[in-house]
Amino acid sequence: MSSSKPSFSKALFSGLILEDLIFPFPKMDKEEKENMALIRESFEKFAADKIDSHKIDEDAEIPQEVIDGLKELGFFGLNTSEMFDGFGLSATGWTKALEFVCNADPSVSLLLGAHQSIGIKALHLFGTEEQKKKYLPRLVTGEMIGAFCLTEPGAGSDAAGIKTKAVRDEKNGYYVLNGSKLWITNGSLADFFTVFAKEEMISDSGDPHEKITAFIVTRDMGGVSNGQPENKMGIKGSATAAVFFDDVKVPLDHVIGERGRGFKVAMEVLNSGRLGLAGGAVGGLKFIFKHALEHIAQRKQFRKHLNEFEAIKQKVAQITIDLYAAESMVYLTTALYDRGDVDYSLESAMCKIVATEVAWRGANECMQMAGGIGYMKEYPYERIVRDSRINLIFEGTNEILRLFIALAGVQERGEYLKKIGKALRDPIKGFGLLTDFASDWVKDKITTERIREVHPSLTKAKTDFENWAKNLRFTSERVLMEHGRDIIYREMITMRLANAATDLFAMIATISRVDTRINDVGAEKAAEEIKICNLFCEQAWRRVRRNLLMVDKNDDQQMKEVAEFISGKKVYPFETE
Amino acid sequence: MNIAVCVKQVPDTETKVRISDDKKSIVEDDINFILNPYDEFAVEEALKLREAHGGDVTIISLGPDRVTAAIRSALAMGANKAIHITTESIPTDPGVTADALAEVLKEGAYDLIFTGKQAIDDDHAQMAALLGEKMGIPAISVIVKLEIDGSHVKGEREVDGAHEIIECDMPCVIGAQRGLNEPRYASLKGIMAAKRVQIEQKSVSLGENRLTVAEFNYPPQKEAGKIVGDSADAVPELLRLLHEEAKVI
Repeated sequence: MSSSKPSFSKALFSGLILEDLIFPFPKMDKEEKENMALIRESFEKFAADKIDSHKIDEDAEIPQEVIDGLKELGFFGLNTSEMFDGFGLSATGWTKALEFVCNADPSVSLLLGAHQSIGIKALHLFGTEEQKKKYLPRLVTGEMIGAFCLTEPGAGSDAAGIKTKAVRDEKNGYYVLNGSKLWITNGSLADFFTVFAKEEMISDSGDPHEKITAFIVTRDMGGVSNGQPENKMGIKGSATAAVFFDDVKVPLDHVIGERGRGFKVAMEVLNSGRLGLAGGAVGGLKFIFKHALEHIAQRKQFRKHLNEFEAIKQKVAQITIDLYAAESMVYLTTALYDRGDVDYSLESAMCKIVATEVAWRGANECMQMAGGIGYMKEYPYERIVRDSRINLIFEGTNEILRLFIALAGVQERGEYLKKIGKALRDPIKGFGLLTDFASDWVKDKITTERIREVHPSLTKAKTDFENWAKNLRFTSERVLMEHGRDIIYREMITMRLANAATDLFAMIATISRVDTRINDVGAEKAAEEIKICNLFCEQAWRRVRRNLLMVDKNDDQQMKEVAEFISGKKVYPFETE
Repeated sequence: MNIAVCVKQVPDTETKVRISDDKKSIVEDDINFILNPYDEFAVEEALKLREAHGGDVTIISLGPDRVTAAIRSALAMGANKAIHITTESIPTDPGVTADALAEVLKEGAYDLIFTGKQAIDDDHAQMAALLGEKMGIPAISVIVKLEIDGSHVKGEREVDGAHEIIECDMPCVIGAQRGLNEPRYASLKGIMAAKRVQIEQKSVSLGENRLTVAEFNYPPQKEAGKIVGDSADAVPELLRLLHEEAKVI
């Protein structure tokens, strides 16, 4: 799965810092920034007049008036190119849009996100001109709403296990599609489905075997139906439903991308989709944090405002630090996506993990600061807590994403070591390998174990980053040597590598953002941000150290034994006398 | 129909106002500026008239570079022309602004000139009348309903406890009040079209401010409310407090 494009985090596992990808911190193009301000202004007016989050949650439905209003505003075409009458937002712009939409209502953000981030994304990325011309004009207006159909009753994280079948009928010029998809966002609203199904293909050696292909399926093909919208814990307004395909005749030219390459299509779509999700999570937390900050400024106990108590200050500072770091990661990564020549798959997974966990913890802490009223339906805290929870589960559970990060990272390291081994046996022939392993792209760039000078106020953070980046490489090497291919089963260890790499990326993203900010406005004006950055990096490198130390010294064996004992019992068996 | 809409950029209503050290001005650093809400009614009415009668809607605003954002907001709603009268700051004296606007408006041969009935920052509520005076044409403000019949204008304005109906001929100035219409949200299409509109820049020499700000001050801090009881027994105490402390009865 290794890509020919350079990846900051994959290189990091090899001890190389592709600093050109990180510094300076990217800025949105001036014109797009102006446009975003107008879009935001317009949306916020619309939201203030028309979007009632409490009612959407209670009724478990987004009113048709709101959906129609969003269509009229053009919000279904935000990230479709202007060529097809969309607004052509960059990934950065689109993610910021999801942030402020989620600030107004998470279910509305999912309606738009599932449509554009994943529902029609495969068409954008892999569709032919004909396919785009046929469908995009109706998709940008919202006349057709899109959905992404991968998950099945028997295939969640293990996407390769899908059972939906497509049988190719060359003579009649269509596929016959059968199967069912589960928990599809927009499932009951959509008319346009990106569907992943297995078809039988003949391999090079002549054996038939099943491969996944992506298809465009529309409701008007016939045989498409959906279940009732699911009753969920949160994001209740989002129309989640099962979608059934019963002898649907899909024309042969409705394959998206190459036949048998559907898995790649799905992964590419999800790589970018996760960024939108991360942006939404950040937006949701900003919303509830604002409520909590108002509350602690008003509410008095023991004749002091709550925000004067240290126990509250601790929470406020922690949310701020984590939010700042998550935001830095997200908008560094959207810019990596926008430049187009970078493999951002690991970073996107890291953003999804960090943003969704920061938002979940943050929402909990906001509820805690609100005390009793936080638990009451009258206030938005409990809704945001419910709405935030799903983010840790869908679009790749955070556990699966951690395994992906670590395995992709050590795989890169493994290949490097293999090449080095060869290179050392034949130094002259191997010389080229040593210089261009990361990819041709990096050949003329600076790749070093140290990064450029940053503002003196950030030097400690930078040095900690460099030191622990080096340790990540050593640890990954040791893990590879000790476990070899069995590394895929050592999940307790790979999780730690993933956590360490994620913290390192968060550190460098935050350092870059603040360093760039200092260059722009001077250290004095950036004083608060310098403090936040240093606090985050201080916390982060300690976590990195703990994770890396625990790769070698841990209680994994005993933990597994306890787990196996209890799992065998299928119930917690102890009781006091 | 050739319509001009004079708009002002003002601080967002949620802005926490900070007064400068010399108390002569507001610190603008962290202010989020928006299109004056009453001007939105003016823009909407102009757009509706253009939809019914054809013609152009020109947005005119005076002020430093930042006001182009307000002009873009109005363009994004659907206006098709714009003039930015560039000045270093927005005058404290509405008379000075009116002189400059009138100078530019005279070049345009507009049938109708709209403004909001007032700006929500300094709340002078004078612009419609001043423009009428400077240009020698009728002005009707605080308009909640407008009817156009050929070149005849019939405006319904809010006065204390009643509505007053005033008629005049074009050209004239109209000051828009809340209730005149429901301003549209700028659509993405509108925003994209707005990008393509060239904002014409004009410079004028401003007159002397005859009205200057002596001092800005924060409003006095409000005391917390009091609950004196929840039954009829509390009435005497409530009366006493209303009389002696609050001094409202």
